[in-house]
Amino acid sequence: MTPTKSTETHCPYCSLQCGMRLESTRKGVRELSVAVWPEFPTNAGGLCRKGWTAPALLRHRERLTSPLVRDRATGELTAVSWDEALERVAAGLVKIQQRHGRDSVGVFGGGGLTNEKAYALGKFARVALRTSAIDYNGRWCMSSAATAGQRAFGLDRGLPFPLADIEDASVVVLVGSNLAETAPPAARHLEALRANGGRLVVIDPRATATAVRADMHIQPVPGTDLALANGVLHAIVSAGQVDQDYVDARTSGFDQVAALVAGYWPERVERITGVSAREIVGLAQLLAQADSVIILTARGAEQHASGTDTVLAWINVALALGQPGRPHAGYGCITGQGNGQGGREHGQKADQLPGYRKIDDPAARAHVAQVWGIEPDDLPGPGKSAYEMLDAMGTDDGVRALLVFGSNIVVSAPNASHIGERLDALDLLVVADFVMSETAARADVVLPVTQWAEETGTMTNLEGRVILRRQALTPPDGVRSDLEVISGLAQRLGVPTGFDTEPEVVFDELRRASAGGPADYSGIDYGRITRELGVFWPCPDTGNEAAHPGTPRLFLDRFATPDGRARFHPVDHVGAAEQPSPDYPFYLTTGRVLAQYQSGAQTRRVRELDAAAPGPFVELHPMVADLLGVVDGEQVRVATRRGQMVAPAKISTRIRRDTVFLPFHWVGANLLTNDALDPSSRMPEFKACAASLERVGGAV
Amino acid sequence: MNAVDAPNATNATNAGRREHGESLVVVGNGMAAIRLVEELVRREAQLRITVIGDEPGTAYNRILLSAVLEGSHPATELRLKDEAWYAENGVELISGTRVRLIDRDARVVRLADGRTVPYDRLVLAIGSAAALPPIRGLVTSGGDLSPNVHAFRSMADCLGLLNALPGARRAVVIGGGLLGLQVARALGVRGLEVDVVEAAPHLLASHIGETAGAVLRRSVEELGCEVHSETRAVKLTDEGLLLDTGYLLRADLFVLTAGARPATSLAKAAGLFVRRGVVVDQTLTTVTDPRIHAIGDCAEYRGRTSGFVSPAWEQAGVLAARLCGDQDRYEGSRVVARLRASDLEVAVLGDPEHATGDVVEVANPIRGSYRKLVVRDGVIEAAVLLGDLSRIGLLTQLYDRRTVLGEGEPGQLLFGERPAGEGSVLLPDDVEVCACAGVSAGRIRACADVAEVVGTTRATTGCGGCAGTIRLLLAANNTLPTQAATAGQ
Repeated sequence: MTPTKSTETHCPYCSLQCGMRLESTRKGVRELSVAVWPEFPTNAGGLCRKGWTAPALLRHRERLTSPLVRDRATGELTAVSWDEALERVAAGLVKIQQRHGRDSVGVFGGGGLTNEKAYALGKFARVALRTSAIDYNGRWCMSSAATAGQRAFGLDRGLPFPLADIEDASVVVLVGSNLAETAPPAARHLEALRANGGRLVVIDPRATATAVRADMHIQPVPGTDLALANGVLHAIVSAGQVDQDYVDARTSGFDQVAALVAGYWPERVERITGVSAREIVGLAQLLAQADSVIILTARGAEQHASGTDTVLAWINVALALGQPGRPHAGYGCITGQGNGQGGREHGQKADQLPGYRKIDDPAARAHVAQVWGIEPDDLPGPGKSAYEMLDAMGTDDGVRALLVFGSNIVVSAPNASHIGERLDALDLLVVADFVMSETAARADVVLPVTQWAEETGTMTNLEGRVILRRQALTPPDGVRSDLEVISGLAQRLGVPTGFDTEPEVVFDELRRASAGGPADYSGIDYGRITRELGVFWPCPDTGNEAAHPGTPRLFLDRFATPDGRARFHPVDHVGAAEQPSPDYPFYLTTGRVLAQYQSGAQTRRVRELDAAAPGPFVELHPMVADLLGVVDGEQVRVATRRGQMVAPAKISTRIRRDTVFLPFHWVGANLLTNDALDPSSRMPEFKACAASLERVGGAV
Repeated sequence: MNAVDAPNATNATNAGRREHGESLVVVGNGMAAIRLVEELVRREAQLRITVIGDEPGTAYNRILLSAVLEGSHPATELRLKDEAWYAENGVELISGTRVRLIDRDARVVRLADGRTVPYDRLVLAIGSAAALPPIRGLVTSGGDLSPNVHAFRSMADCLGLLNALPGARRAVVIGGGLLGLQVARALGVRGLEVDVVEAAPHLLASHIGETAGAVLRRSVEELGCEVHSETRAVKLTDEGLLLDTGYLLRADLFVLTAGARPATSLAKAAGLFVRRGVVVDQTLTTVTDPRIHAIGDCAEYRGRTSGFVSPAWEQAGVLAARLCGDQDRYEGSRVVARLRASDLEVAVLGDPEHATGDVVEVANPIRGSYRKLVVRDGVIEAAVLLGDLSRIGLLTQLYDRRTVLGEGEPGQLLFGERPAGEGSVLLPDDVEVCACAGVSAGRIRACADVAEVVGTTRATTGCGGCAGTIRLLLAANNTLPTQAATAGQ
C-alpha cells in the first residue's frame, strides 16, 4: 500500500521532538500512520510507543468539536457557536477588567504550544488585554535551569550543543534525569556513548531504567543534589584537579566557591546526601580524569525550592573542570516539554518579551513596542510567576478571569487541591484544549482547538534547534487553531489588527520581534528549517547574501556575559523545604513513566498507552512494605500535609528505603506536592516533600 | 559573588548593621565560630560583629588537617573564608591574638596585645586543646613540647609536622582514638613506620567495644601500623619512648593525640560556671551570665561536651537564630563520627558503648568487617560500622531522622543487598524487555531474527537499550528449549 502523502513532522510530546513521517493513504485520515524519518539527527529514526501511537488522538471519540459554555446555575455545559462563545468570553473579560482593572485578567500558557502561539499569546496579553498577568506551565519545568544558565553563562539555552555530541564525551553525568523513560530515543545517544568507550553516571534517588544502564549510579536523598555537587567539587579541589588555566582565562568567582566547598568534605556530604564518602570521591575521580565531561540536569535536580542553586552547583563543577565551551563537553539542561525551550523565549513568561528579552529592560520594551506598533509605556511590566498567579486567583490581589492555553493545571500544579479551590473562586475560566482535560471540565467556556498534525508551526527542541511541525491533515469541523482563537478574541476586545492566523506570517513577525535579542530568530525561516533539518538559535538576519549559519554550539569563544567570562556562584545546601518528621516519615518524590506524558490528558486517551500504564502506583522499598505489611499491588494511602491519595504498592529495591515515588500523570500526586518556591526561578518543590504511608489493603 | 555588583548591596546592609546593632564579640575563629558568623550574615543580623581568633589568618577547616598531613588535600585549600569576605560582610576580624581575660563588669574583653574590645554579647567558641598525657620528658623545662613532639590541633601543628617529615622514618602516635588513627594512617601513607600507643584495652575505646576493637586492630596492623594497646607511655628520653611494658619505642617523631580538653580557662577566670566545659542551657547561654554564650567543643550541655563539628554547627545555627530574635532551642545532637583515613572504613553513630537497646551485631574478622546496631523501640540509637560502609548513607539517614524500623529490618540492614538480575535468557515470556514499544520476551522469542523483531514489534526502535537482551533471546531460541517446553517438564 503506497502512501499518497508523506509529511515530515515531529512527535507531539516531549522536548526531544522526534522527527517522524506521517503517512496517509487514499482511504483517508483513519489510515494515518507513523513512519521513521531516519535523517533527522536528534532521534536518528528512534521513536517510543508514545510517538508510534500519536495519531490515535487525531480522530479520538473524546475530541472536542464545539465550543461549550457553562450555565453556572445548573453547572451544565452547552454547545454554542464560535461567535457566541467568543462574544461571551470577550464580554466577560471587558466587564471584569472594567471593574477590577487590567491585571484582573490572566493568561496561562503552556510549554507545548508552538513558538507562534506562545508569541501570539504574549502579545495578546500585553497588547489586547494589556495585563501583566501572564505565565505558563514551563515555570514548573525548566525555570530553575534557565535562571541558573543565565546567571552562569549569561544565556539560557537548554543544551549548548547538539544532543548527538554526548556520544563523543568521555563521561556524561545525568543529574535527576530519567532519559530512558522520559525521552527514550535520546538514550540511543547514551548507548552510542558507551559503545564509544564513554562512561555514564546517573544521579537519582531511584534506580531508574536510565540508572540501571549507567556505569555509576549515585542514589542521593531527594533534595541533596546541591550538597553532592559541592562535595564532588571539594574532592576535585582536594585532588588538585581544578583546571586552573581555564578558570583563570574563562571564568570569574572561583575563589569564593573554593572557600565554600572547603566546608563540604566527603564525610559531611555523606551524612547530608546519604551517598557514601567513597562514592563521592569516586565520582570526583572519574570526572577529574576524563578528557571531556558533560553534566546534564533535569527536573530531579531542578524542581526544588533551591533548584536554581542546585543547577549552579553542578555548573560550578563543570567550570572547575574546564568543560563549558569545549567540544563534547560542558553543562546542559534536558528540557521537558515539547516546546519548553521556545516557549520560554517569546513572551509567555511573566518577566519576558520575545527574543528572550527582559520586560523591565527599556531597550527591549522600545524594540518590541515598535514591532507591535504601540508605545513602550503601554506595555505592562512584569507579572506574577505561574504558581503565584494561580495562588492569588479570585483574591483582591489576584486575577478574576483566567484564559488557559495548552495546560492542565488541575493535574499539574503543586498543592493541587488548593489550586482547585482558587480556580473555583474565579469569575471566569476559559480553557482552550482539544479534549476535555480535568481543567477544561471546570471551565465556564471551553474552546476546542486544533492539535499537532492539524496545524503548522515551529518548536524549539531541547537542543535549541528550531524545527517545523507541518500540517498533515485537515482539522475536524468545529475546531479552530489557537491563533484563530487569539485573533478572534483580540478583535472582540477592540484590537482588530496585529493578530494574524497564518503561522508563517506570525513567525515572520516573531523573527522581527526577536531580532537583536538573546534568542535571535531573525535569520530563520520555514524554508531554511526544512532544508537544514532545523536551525539553531541565535541566528540573526545578516541582511545580505551570506546567511548566518545558526549556532549549534554556544560559548566556544566567549560566554554571553558582559565580560565574556562564565560566573562561579557560591551556593550552600539548604535541603528540601519540608523534611520528614515522625508524622510524615518518608520523602515523596514524583516523576514520569514511559507510556504517559505530563498531565496525561493526551496519553491517557490512547488505548495502547493506557493499557501499558493504566494508573498511578506507589513505588516503595521492600523494607517499607514489610513495615506497612503490604504486598505488591495492595492499596496504600500516601498522605502529606496537603492531601492524600490511594494507589497500589509497587515494591522495588530500586528506590531508597526512606523515599517513595508517585508518577504524576493522574489526578493525585500533585494533591500531595509542596508549593514551596525557589526564590529566583519561582519553581515549586515538586520533587521532595514529607509523606506518611498506610496500608489500605484490597485489590491486588 | 560577582565582584562588580554585589559589594554595594552588601555594604549597604552592613553599614546599617554597624550603626544600629548591638556589638557581638565572638572569641574563636574556628569551625563553630565561623559557622555562627556565616549564619548571622545570612540572616542579616542587626549586630556589629567582631571575631577574635588566636590563630593567624582567616577561618579554615580543621577537619581537613589529617588529609593535608596524608597528602590527599592541598594545604593551600583549607581556608573557609578570605579576608575580603569578612570585610564585605562588615565583620571585624582580629586574628593572631589571644583573649587574655573577660571583664564581665565592664563588658569588655582584654587581648594579649593590650587592646580592649567592648561587647554587648559575647560568644565563646574557643574549642579545645590537646590533652597532655602524664609522660615525663614530654615538655621541656621551658614549658614547650620537646622538639620532636608534636600536637595535632591547629594548622600550625600540621605544618610543623609536615616540615618534620623529611628524613623521618619512624613515628609514634600517642593515643588510639579517631584523631590518633587518622594521624597514624596519614604518616603511614607518607611512608613512615608507625606505632600507636593506647592506654585503653583497644583502639577507639570510647566508641567501640572489644570485638570491634579486635577487628579494627587487625585492619590497622594489616596496613603496616603496630598497635600497643592497654599500654601507657611513661617516659620520653633521647633513646625513645618508654612504655609501662618496659618496651622502648625508638622514633623520629612523637605525635600527641591522646584526647582533647575543652578550653575553659578563660571562662573559669571570668567566674563562669564550668564543669568539663562551659555550662550552657537550651538557649546556649551560660548559666552564669545572660550576655555570654558558648558553642562548640568548649560548651557543655546536659553534662556533655562533644568535640565534633556537626553538634557545633547545630549549636551555631540555634544561637544565630536566637541572636536574630527567633526562639529556637538546642535539644542536643545526634553525632556521627567518621574516621578520615585512606583504606580504613570506620563510622560510629551515637554512643554504642552506652546506648541502651537491643543489639544486632555481625562480625567478620576475616574480611575485617564489623557492624552493630543498637535499636530501641524500632529506632537506631547507636551503630558501629567497620570495614564495610556500603550502607552508611542509608544508616545515617535512618539514625538522624529516628526512623522507626520493622522487626526484620535491623538484620537486613547489616547485610548487603543482592544484585538484581538483568538480561537473563530465562526471562519468563510475559516479562517486558522493550519498554519503549512495550514488547514482552515471549513476543521476541516468536521472531526469527532482529529484522522480524523490528518489523513486527518495534522493539529496539526507541532507546535501543534492549538490543543486547534481544540478541540473547534470539540466540537462545536456537540453543535452549523454549520457555513453554521448560515449564511443561
